[in-house]
Amino acid sequence: AAREENKENLFTNKQASDENKAADSERKVEDYGYGLYPGRARSKYKEGSIGESLFTFKHKCHIMLQFTLDTSPYAKLLLGAMRNSGCTVYKDRHFSCEDCDGTVSGGFDAATSQIVLCQNNIHQQAHMNRVVTHELIHAFDHCRARVDWFSNFRHLACSEIRAANLSGDCSFINEISRFNFGLKEHHQECVRSRALRSILAVRKVSREEAERVVDEVFDSCFNDHAPFGRIPHSKKDAKFAHRDFENRDRYHANL
Amino acid sequence: MEGSNWRPPRECDVYLSEFKHCKSLWNRFHEYYTYGKASDCQQWKEDYNSCKEWEKNHSSHFKESLQKSERKRVAEERKFSPVWELRQTPPADWHLPLNQDKPQDS
Repeated sequence: AAREENKENLFTNKQASDENKAADSERKVEDYGYGLYPGRARSKYKEGSIGESLFTFKHKCHIMLQFTLDTSPYAKLLLGAMRNSGCTVYKDRHFSCEDCDGTVSGGFDAATSQIVLCQNNIHQQAHMNRVVTHELIHAFDHCRARVDWFSNFRHLACSEIRAANLSGDCSFINEISRFNFGLKEHHQECVRSRALRSILAVRKVSREEAERVVDEVFDSCFNDHAPFGRIPHSKKDAKFAHRDFENRDRYHANL
Repeated sequence: MEGSNWRPPRECDVYLSEFKHCKSLWNRFHEYYTYGKASDCQQWKEDYNSCKEWEKNHSSHFKESLQKSERKRVAEERKFSPVWELRQTPPADWHLPLNQDKPQDS
């Protein structure tokens, strides 16, 4: 059950982490979460090597990813919306399967415009579907808005709120599997708490500061359902949202 | 697009399927879980009726009724002030090949 504590995280350009480490011992070094993704800098096994195919889950990751992109209505809608915004997603360019730190499932690297999938932590198709959706939401935000991932906490919090809200992260069933039992409006509590955890994982801020920022932007970002037009609670919701997206030209022409 | 080329924003069957979906037990449960209350599904039914009526006789009354309802839906979805500024064009480096994105590599 402890392994279910998976976090989707956001991280940014490691060039910016050049701070004077020898200085003030109270000042924590900001690595923007890069420490969670050692595979970004270098991989343990040479690409295409026997070692890689025997000792990593890269192949399985790629197969599950392809299945998600082909069949998940959440992913198909996001891919369509991104193409529409001028950010066509190419699997080989914009996705990377890597080994990550123990509990992380994935991340969006704004510096390279890549979605990282943690091949050592995603072992089920349903989980892959959810991680891909979550990270595509970050990519979509990066594409359609001037998001300052590096230094604007409000932007970071907003994208995390949206990703937790719209990806199915906070579905009733997922929450039950984490032993978070709640009913009336529990979805919102879950979104708040997951957004908070994501921020705390990749930024050196106090819990109070992170909570304050999440509170500040919550109403706006919880109600921003782009590109779904609704909160997709289920595959059926996502299918309906995708249907609306495919129909958007007719819809707007006749409003 | 006004005038003789107008047709309902959605296919009539879509309104009916949204109505049925809205009223389903699973959806009701999700709405309670998210908002603590159920939404008004009746509007989907009315829109379906307007759509079918318009198909029969192209009456402007039903056309306006549908437009009003859909515009209200659009307004509901826009009821928040964005935290960020929307872009006019996508980020310049989205399509750049990977090794160009890491200037410290040489």
